Amino acid sequence: MSEASRPRAWVALSQPLVCGGAVLLLCGAFFLAIGREPLSLLWLIAVSAFGDGYALSETLVKTAPILLCALATALPARVGLISVGAEGQLYFGALLGTGFVLMAFELPGYVLLPGMLVTAALAGAAWSAACAGLRAGLGVNETITTLLLNYVAALLVTWVVFGPWKDPLSQGWPATRDFPDAARLPTFFDSRVHLGLWLAIGGALALHVLMRRSRWGLELDVIRSNPRAAQGAGLNFGRHVMITMAIGGALAGIAGIIETSNIQGRLQSNISFGAGFSGFLVAWLARNDFLRIIPLSLLVGALLASGDGLQMLAGVPSSVSLVVQALLFVGVLLVNGWYASRRS
Amino acid sequence: MRSLRRLFAAMAAGLLLGGNAHAQTIGFIYVGPEKDYGYNTSHDLGRQFVASQFKGVKTLHVENVPETAEVERVMERMVRSGATIIFATSYGYLDYAIALGKKYPKVAFLHAGGLKTSSNVGTYWANSDDAMYLAGMAAGSVTRSGRLGFIAAFPIPQVIRSINAFTLGAQAMNPKATTTVVWTGGWLQPAKEAEATNSLIDSGVDVIGEQVDSPITIAQTAEKRGAYVVGKDVNVARFAPKAYLTGASWNWGPMMARLVTEIKNGTWKPSHVRGDMKDGSVVLDPFGPAVPKAAQQTILERKQAILDGKFVVWAGPMTGQDGKALLAAGKPMDMEMLESMDFFVRGVVGSIK
Amino acid sequence: MDGLDALGAFAISALRSATPLLLVMLGECLTQRTGVINLGVEGQMLVGAMVGYGATAASGNPWLGLAAGCAAGCALPSVHGLLVGGARANQFGSGLSVWMLGFGLSALLGSSLVGRQIAALPEIRIEALDGVPFLGPLVAGLTPTVLIALALVPVVGWWLYRTRTGLHWRATGEVPEAARSAGLSPARIRLNAILVGGLLSGFGGAALAVDYTRTWAEGMSAGRGLVAVGLVIVARWNPWLTLPAALLFGGAEALSLRLQAAGVTVSAHLLHTLPYLASIAVLTLTYVRSRDAGTPAALKAVMDR
Repeated sequence: MSEASRPRAWVALSQPLVCGGAVLLLCGAFFLAIGREPLSLLWLIAVSAFGDGYALSETLVKTAPILLCALATALPARVGLISVGAEGQLYFGALLGTGFVLMAFELPGYVLLPGMLVTAALAGAAWSAACAGLRAGLGVNETITTLLLNYVAALLVTWVVFGPWKDPLSQGWPATRDFPDAARLPTFFDSRVHLGLWLAIGGALALHVLMRRSRWGLELDVIRSNPRAAQGAGLNFGRHVMITMAIGGALAGIAGIIETSNIQGRLQSNISFGAGFSGFLVAWLARNDFLRIIPLSLLVGALLASGDGLQMLAGVPSSVSLVVQALLFVGVLLVNGWYASRRS
Repeated sequence: MRSLRRLFAAMAAGLLLGGNAHAQTIGFIYVGPEKDYGYNTSHDLGRQFVASQFKGVKTLHVENVPETAEVERVMERMVRSGATIIFATSYGYLDYAIALGKKYPKVAFLHAGGLKTSSNVGTYWANSDDAMYLAGMAAGSVTRSGRLGFIAAFPIPQVIRSINAFTLGAQAMNPKATTTVVWTGGWLQPAKEAEATNSLIDSGVDVIGEQVDSPITIAQTAEKRGAYVVGKDVNVARFAPKAYLTGASWNWGPMMARLVTEIKNGTWKPSHVRGDMKDGSVVLDPFGPAVPKAAQQTILERKQAILDGKFVVWAGPMTGQDGKALLAAGKPMDMEMLESMDFFVRGVVGSIK
Repeated sequence: MDGLDALGAFAISALRSATPLLLVMLGECLTQRTGVINLGVEGQMLVGAMVGYGATAASGNPWLGLAAGCAAGCALPSVHGLLVGGARANQFGSGLSVWMLGFGLSALLGSSLVGRQIAALPEIRIEALDGVPFLGPLVAGLTPTVLIALALVPVVGWWLYRTRTGLHWRATGEVPEAARSAGLSPARIRLNAILVGGLLSGFGGAALAVDYTRTWAEGMSAGRGLVAVGLVIVARWNPWLTLPAALLFGGAEALSLRLQAAGVTVSAHLLHTLPYLASIAVLTLTYVRSRDAGTPAALKAVMDR
C-alpha cells in the first residue's frame, strides 16, 4: 500500500465510527439533560429498531420509500438542482396510480400491477417535470416550485378521498376502497418487507454505476461543476434538467403507490410518513452519493421505526424521537465537517 | 443469534417495565399530542383515571400516531410489549384494530367510535350529539343575527353529527338559524382557527361552535371580538368568560374503568358501548353569563326530556341541506345512518366534501 | 358587512396572516443576501413561539415575552452557524437539522405550557376611524406586531441598500473574495446574518403565539417558515418586495377561509391550494419578465453545488 492511500483507508474506516460516536455522545447528553438514563434509552432505540425479526422488518419497510425519495433528490442534485419535491411526487404518483387501480379493478394481476406502477411512475415524473420545465425554460427556481407543489399534491389527495373517490362502504371515513390483492407487490419472510425495497437498492446501485462509468454520468458532472465548459461542449442543460427530474419523480411516484398499495391497502390522506422530507435529508447527508445513500436511508428508517417503541417503553413524549433524529444529523454534519477541514 | 437478540430485547423491556411480569398492561394510543388541552388530553385523563383505579396495572401510551397503517404497527409493538388491552382512541384506527385483532385473539381492543366489532374488538363512545344539541339551543337563544358558525378540521361523521345536532338545537330556539361551516384542514392549527373565527365574525356570525383538537384559540378570539362560542372536548370557560355559552365535554375515565373491569372479570362481550349525559361520560358545561335565564330553563327541561328518553335528537321530521326529506316525522335514525353520517341538515351552509 | 367594510376586513386578515411570514422573510432575506441559506427558520419560529409564550405566562408581560422569543430564536441558529461556518457543513442538511431540533425541543419543553392563559398585548384603538368604511375594520384588526412588522420593511430595506454595513453584507453575498480582500470577514458577517435571521424568525413565532393566537401548540407554525424561505426567492431577495410577496400568500390563505365563511361550496381542500398556486403563478410571471435576476452570487454557488 502506498503512503498516500494508507491514511485515506484509515479515514474511510474511522469516519463512520467517529460519526457514530459523536451521535451517541450527543444523544446521551440530551437524555441526561431530560433526566433519563442514557444507556438504557439508547439501547431501547436499538432494540426497537433491530431487536428482533419483526422490528427489523418494520425498519426495512420504512427504509424503502425513504431510499426512493432520496434517489429522487440526489439525481437532480447531480446536475446542480435543489429539488425538495419528492413528497409531492410521491403523493401525485399515489393519486394517479390509485386512479388506475380504481378503473382497472377487475383486471388480472399481470396487467394491474405493472399498469399501476407505470402510471404512478409517469405521474411522479410529470409532477416533477412541471417544475423542471419552468426551470429549463424560464429559469424559475426549482426549490420553491417543488416545495409549493408538495402541499398542492397532498391537498389533491385529501380532496379525492373526501370527495369523488371516497369508498361508499367506508362508513363515512375518508379513504378509497381497499385495493385488490393483485395490486400488491410480493412480500418476503412473512412480513411487510416488499419487492420495492430491492427495487430501491437496485436503483441506487444502478445509478451509482451509471454515474461513475457512463457518459451520461460524466456529462452531469461537467454540467454541475463547470456550466460554461459544458455549454461550450454542446451539452444541453435544459434537456438534462428534464431527464434527471423526470426520473427522480418517477422513483418517488413509485414509492407513493407502493406505500398506498402494499402498506396502506388503499388511498387516504397521510399516505406518507414524511418519506419525501426524510429522503431529502438523507440525500444531502450522503452528499448525493448513491452508495452512501443506502446505509443512511436504513439508519433514518430505523430511527423513525423506533420512535413509538421509545415512547411506549420509556414513557417519553414523541418529541424526544424528533430531537434524537436532529442530533443524528448534527453529529454526522459536525464530524464530516471536521474530517473535511483536516483534508484541506 | 436470534435468540440472543430476543434475550436482550426482553431484558431491555423488562428493565424499563419494572420487571413485574404479572402486571396487567393496558395500552393507549392518541392521534395528537397528549397535552393538547382538548380531545387527546381528555383520553389521557381517562388513562390516568384507570391507572389510579386498578392496582398493579401498567399503562403504555403513545401520542401523535396518524390514522394510517402506522397505528397497526404501534399496536403490534404494544401487544409484543405485553399489553392485553388496547384503547385505540381515534376514529380512524378501527380497521387496523380489527385487522390486528385477528392476529392476536387474546388481546382486547377498545376503539373509540365506529360500527364494526369482532370477537375481540369492541367500540366505545359517548354520544356528545345530545349535548351539542342543547348547546345549539343556547346558541340559538343568544344569536341576534341568526347566523351561527362552526369551525372544524375534517368532514368525518363525528364532526358532521356535531354540526347537525348543533344546528337542529339552534333551530329549536330560532327556526331561521343557519350554521356556516369553515374547514381548517387540520386538527391543531391555531393560526387558521383564529383566522376562521375572524372571517366568520366579519361576515355577520355571532355565535361559533367548533370541533378541532382544542377550543382555546377559537374561544379567545371570539372573546376578543365580542362574539360567543360553544365549546367541545374540554371546558374552556376560563379562557373566554364572557363569550363561553356552554359546551360538551368528555369524561372518559369511568367508562374506561368499567370496560377494564369487565375484561378482567371475563364478562366482557365486544359491543358498541355508548355512554351519554346520563352516565356522565358527556357533560353539558355550566352556562355562561350570556345565556338568558329563561333559555337556560328551557334547555334544562329539554335535557331532562332527553335523559328520560322522551325526546330524541336524531328522529324525524328532518330535512336535508338540499330541502329533501331525510326522515319522516317520528321515525328514529338507524345506527348505520347515524355512525356514517355524510349529509348536512337544512340550514347548514357549506360544503361537506 | 357591506362592500368597502368587507374589503377592509379582508385586508387586515391578509395582513395578519402575512405578518409571521413577513418577519421570517425579512430575516431570511438578509441571511440569503450574505450567501447562506437557512432552512431551519421553521424551528426558530417554533422556539420563539414557545419561549415567548412561556415568558409571557411566567412574567405576565407580553412585551417581555416577545423579547424572549427573539432571544430564543436567535440562540437556536447558532447551531447552524457553527455547522456551516465552523464545520463547513452542507447548508441544507444543517438547516433541516436546526428545524428538527427546534421542533422537537419546543414540543418537549412546551408541553407543560399548553392550557395556560396569557396577558394580551395592548389593543390599538383609534376611535375616530370607527365608522369609517374600509379604514374602520382595517384599523380595528391591527395588532402591535403587525405594525412592527410593517415598520421593519422600510427599516430593513433602507439598512440593506443605504448603509455601509448593508453594503458589506451585500458584498459578502455577491463577491465574497473581493469582500475578503477589502478586509471584511465573510464568515463573521454570515454568522451575524444567521443570528439576525434567527432573531426575526423568533419574533415571527412569538408574534404568532403571544399576539395572534395567544396559544401554544406543538408545530403551530404549520410549515410557514419553510414557505417563507421560498417566498424570499419570489421577492427576489429585495426586502421591499417581501411585503407584497407575504401579502400574496397570506391574502390567498385568508381568502380561502373567507370564501368558505361566505358559503362558497367549492371543496375546502381545493380552496386551500390557492396560496401555493398563486405564489407559483406570480413567481413564474416575474421570471418571464427577467430571468434569474438578483440571485446573490454566493448563494448561487451554494445552490449549484
